[in-house]
Amino acid sequence: MSAPRWTIALIRRLAPPGRAEDVQGDLEEAHGRRRAERSPFVADLLTGIEALELCLALLVERARAGRTGQAGESSWPRVSWLDFKLGFRMLVRYPGLTLVGGLALAFAIWVGAGTFEFLSLIVSPRLPLDEGDRIVAVRNWDISVNRAESRALHDFVAWREALATVDDLGAYRDLERNLIVEEGRAEPIRLAEISASAFRVARVSPFMGRAIIEEDEHAAAPAVIVIGYEVWRSRFGEDPFVVGRTVRVGIEPHTVVGVMPEGFEFPRAHDAWTPLRLNPLDYARREGPGIQIFGRLARGVSLADVQAELNLLGQRATADFPRTHEHLRPQVMHYPRSFYYTLSGWYALALMSSNLLVLLLLALIGANVALLMFARAATRESEIIVRSALGASRSRIIAQLFAEALVLGALAAMVGLAGVKFGLTWALAIAETEFMDGGGRLPFWFTSRLSPATLLYTALLTVLGAAIAGVLPALKVTRGIGARLKQASAGSGGLRFGGVWTAVIVIQVALTVTFPAVSFFLRRDIVQMRDYDVGFADEEFVSVRLELDRQAAAFATSDTSRAAFLQHFAVTTQELERRLAALPAVTAVTFTDELPRTYHGWNQIELDEGAVPPRDSIYGHRVAATSIDPDYFDVLEAPILAGRGFHAGDQISDARVVIVNQPFVKQVLGGLNPIGRRLRYVAGESARSYDPGPWYEIVGVVGDHGTTSGYGRAGFYHPLPSGGTHPIYMAIHVRGDAASFAPRLRATALAMDPALRLENVVPLDEVANAGIRTAEFWLALLAGLTAIVLILSLAGIYAAMSFAVSRRTREIGIRVALGADPRRVALAIFRRPLTQVGLGILAGTALVAFMIGGLDADDLQPAQAGMIAAYALLMTVVCLLACIVPTRRALRIQPTDALRHDG
Amino acid sequence: MTQKRAIPDSLAEFELLVMLAALRLGADEAYTVSIADDITERTGRRVRRANVYTTVQRLEAKGLVSTRLGEPRPERGGRPRRLVVVEPEGMAAVRATTTAINAMVGGLGGIIGEAG
Repeated sequence: MSAPRWTIALIRRLAPPGRAEDVQGDLEEAHGRRRAERSPFVADLLTGIEALELCLALLVERARAGRTGQAGESSWPRVSWLDFKLGFRMLVRYPGLTLVGGLALAFAIWVGAGTFEFLSLIVSPRLPLDEGDRIVAVRNWDISVNRAESRALHDFVAWREALATVDDLGAYRDLERNLIVEEGRAEPIRLAEISASAFRVARVSPFMGRAIIEEDEHAAAPAVIVIGYEVWRSRFGEDPFVVGRTVRVGIEPHTVVGVMPEGFEFPRAHDAWTPLRLNPLDYARREGPGIQIFGRLARGVSLADVQAELNLLGQRATADFPRTHEHLRPQVMHYPRSFYYTLSGWYALALMSSNLLVLLLLALIGANVALLMFARAATRESEIIVRSALGASRSRIIAQLFAEALVLGALAAMVGLAGVKFGLTWALAIAETEFMDGGGRLPFWFTSRLSPATLLYTALLTVLGAAIAGVLPALKVTRGIGARLKQASAGSGGLRFGGVWTAVIVIQVALTVTFPAVSFFLRRDIVQMRDYDVGFADEEFVSVRLELDRQAAAFATSDTSRAAFLQHFAVTTQELERRLAALPAVTAVTFTDELPRTYHGWNQIELDEGAVPPRDSIYGHRVAATSIDPDYFDVLEAPILAGRGFHAGDQISDARVVIVNQPFVKQVLGGLNPIGRRLRYVAGESARSYDPGPWYEIVGVVGDHGTTSGYGRAGFYHPLPSGGTHPIYMAIHVRGDAASFAPRLRATALAMDPALRLENVVPLDEVANAGIRTAEFWLALLAGLTAIVLILSLAGIYAAMSFAVSRRTREIGIRVALGADPRRVALAIFRRPLTQVGLGILAGTALVAFMIGGLDADDLQPAQAGMIAAYALLMTVVCLLACIVPTRRALRIQPTDALRHDG
Repeated sequence: MTQKRAIPDSLAEFELLVMLAALRLGADEAYTVSIADDITERTGRRVRRANVYTTVQRLEAKGLVSTRLGEPRPERGGRPRRLVVVEPEGMAAVRATTTAINAMVGGLGGIIGEAG
C-alpha cells in the first residue's frame, strides 16, 4: 500500500527539479515499514507528518538556495521584463480589447480609488497643516445624556492654566455675521471668534499684516478682524492697503489687521477671525455660549498622556463642583474626530466596508475583461501549446498572461487616477450642496489631494483587477494542456466556455438591460424637476432666506426669551416687507417656511371621511405641508380654485384651517370635493407632527404650486402663526430681471438692520438647481457606468460568438460539406451563446419590471408592461447587433476552410 | 572557469554524524533512510529523515559528498534511492573534524569519563 496521495502530490510540487523521485521513494519505503508495524490510520498519519516535515525542510532549503544561488534555478514562475514587453505588444496588437478592457478597468479603478479617498476623508481625515496629526480637540463629555457639553468656558480657563501636555490651548465659537465693507453692501460670512493661540497651533503666518494676538483678547482692546484670502479677493478686490481699513461686522466696526494666506480656513471653514473675548466671570459654570477647544500635543506627548492628565483634572473638578461636573468627563481626541465622534469603531468599519461594493464592481468588470482575454487567449492557443511543448511550465504561462493583464491594468490605473482628482472635486462640491445645508462649506481638510494610502489602494486594485482579468483565463486555457498535447487535440476546439463564463455573460447582459433603464428613470426625474410647472410666473420672483442674530435681537429688545426673539424677528421682516413694497421695482412680497420646488419633507395624515385607500397601506397617505402668509396665493397670482383663501384671522392658533392642492384632492380624496372635510397628522418626518394632533378643516383648494414630499405632489398649506417663525423665506415679485434685484434687496435690508442676514438670494425658478446638479452628478456617473457595461457586454457577446465560430470551424465545414443548410448550422453553433444572452435579457427585464412596478405586481399598468416588453425587444436587438459579424463569418465557412484549419 | 572550493576545517556535529554513517554504509547502501536508521541505531537519538535530507543537500552543495540515483526498487513503489558517496574533500573534512575532537578530548578522560 503506497503513501497517501496528497503527500506524494505535495512532494512533487515542492521538490527541486530531478529530486522528486527519490524523495518520494524514501517516503514510500518509510511508509511501507510503518504499515508493517502499525495500523493503516496511524501509518498514514505519521507519513503525513513526515511529508509535511520534508516539505518544510524543502522550503527552507529552497529559500536558502534562492539566497545563495547555489541550488540551481527555482521552479517558481517569475514575471520578467520580457513578459511586460510582450504585454505592451499585445496591447498594440489587439487595440479593440485594449480600448474596451482598458476603459472598463480605468472606470472601475476610478470609482474604487475615488470612493476609498472620499471615505478616508470622513473616517480618518488628515489635517493639511504642519504636523496636523498632533493638533487635538479637548471637550467635556456628559455621560448622563451621552453628548458633548460645549458650555465649558470655566473649564477652558482651568485647562489652559493646568494642562502641561497640550501647548497653546485655545478656543473658538462659530458666528454668522454680515460683513459690511462699504455702505449699502452686506454679505454674510462665517466668522470664528478665536483665541490668539490658534495661529500658533495651525503654524500658519498671515499673508499680510498680523494675526490675532493675546492683547486683542482684552475687552478694552480695539475691535480687530483678520480676513481670509477669499474675502480679501472677493470683498476687497485684492486691495494691497486693506490692513488698517475699517469694516462693520454686523453692527460693530472692526479694523482689518491681517489677511491669511489662500486655503487657510482653520478651525473649520471660516472666512474671517476676531478675538475671543468671553469672560468666564460673566457666566456661571455650564452656562454661557458653547465653545470648541483645541491645542497642539506637547513634544514627546501622546494622546494617552493628555487623557491621563485630563482625568486628574476632571476628578478634581467633579470633587470641587459636584452640582455641575458630576457627569462631565474631559476627553481629548485628534482634532477632526471632534466633529465626527460617531465615526469610530464599528461605524467607521461599516462605512469603510462600502469599499466592498466597489470591489464587487471591480470584480464584475474584471470578470468581463477576463472573458475578453479568455477569448483572446483561446485564439492564441497554438502559441501557448508551442510554448508548453518547448518546456514552459503551466505557471510560467499563467505568469505571462498575468503580466499582460497587469500592463493593461497599469495603464488603466493611470487613467483612473487622473480622473479621481477631477471626480473628487466634483463629489466634494456635491457633498457641500447635499449635506451642508445650502450655503455651508465642508471643513478645510476635505481637499481633492490624493493620499499615499489611496495610491497604495489603487496599486492593490490594479493587481486584483489584473489577477481576475489575467489569471482566470490563463488557468482556464492552460488546464489539461499536457493531456491535450498528448492527445493531439490542442488547438482543435477542445476549449469551451464553462459555467463561470456563462454566469458572467448572463449577469453582464442583465446589467446591460438594467442600467440604461435606471439612467432613463433618473433622467426623467431630473427633467421633471427642471420642467416642474409651479403654476405661476416663478421667474419673476426673487427668494431669500432671512435670519437674525440672536445676540443682536436681545440687544434690541433687552429680552432674551425665544418668544421675544421671534416677535422681534417678525417685526423686522414686516418692516423689510414694507420697505421693499415701497420700491418701484417690487410688485408684492410674501413669506413661507418652504419654497416651491424644494423638498418639504413628508407627513402622514388621515381624513375624517371620504379618503380613498392609500397606495401604501402601512404608511398611509404621505403628503407635504407648509406654512404661508395669508396673502401668499394673491402675491403668486395663483387662483383659489374652490372654497376660500386665508385671511389674517386664520393665523391664530385656534383657527385650524388648511388649504389643499389639486394633487391632494386627486391622490387622497379620489377627486371628491374636499371643502369642509377635516385632516390631522398621524406621523411624519418633521417634528411638528408626531402625535395624532387636532383636526384641521379644509377651507380651500389651489393648484399644484410646487409642494414636494418625495411621495408625489400632494400637499396642503397652513397659515403662518402670528407669533412668527425663524428662519423664514421671503418671495419678492419684481418687475424686470429677478436676478439683478439682489443688490437692491441687500442694500434695503442693510439700511434697515445690519444684523439681518440674507442667505441664498436666488430667483425663485432656480431654487432647485442645487438638487438638480446633484442628480445630474449621479446621472453622469450612471451614464458612464451604463456606457461601460454596454460596451463590455456587447464586446463580451461578440467575443463569445467569435469564440464559438473559431472553435467549431472544422465542424461547420464538415457539416456544410455533408450538405447541411449553413443557417441551421449557424443556429446550432450559436444556440448556447444565444441562450446565455436570452437569459440575461430575461433577468434584466425582470429587474426593470421590479423597479417600475415595485413588489406588488398589481401595480404594473398595461402601458408599463408594454413599455417593458418594447424595451426588452430593443435590448435584444442591441445584443444581437454584436452577433452580426461572427454570424456572417460562420455562414461563409466552406469545407476548404475546415481543411485549412486542420492543416 | 571553475573555482576550487576550499576544504572546510571542520564539520558541524550532525554533518559529521551523517558523513560517518555514509562511510560506514558504503557507496551502495548509504541513502537518506539508511543513514537516519544508522544514526538512530548507534547514538540512540531519534533522527528526522527531513534533517538527513537537507544535511546531505548542504554537504553536496559544499562538494563534500556526491549523490547518484540507484536502481528502482519495489519496496519504494518502483522508485530509486539517491545514494550518497563521500568525496575526498569530505574524507578530509571528517579527518580534520575527528582529529580536532580527539585532540580536545585527550587528557580529559578522567573528567568526562571514557568515551564508549
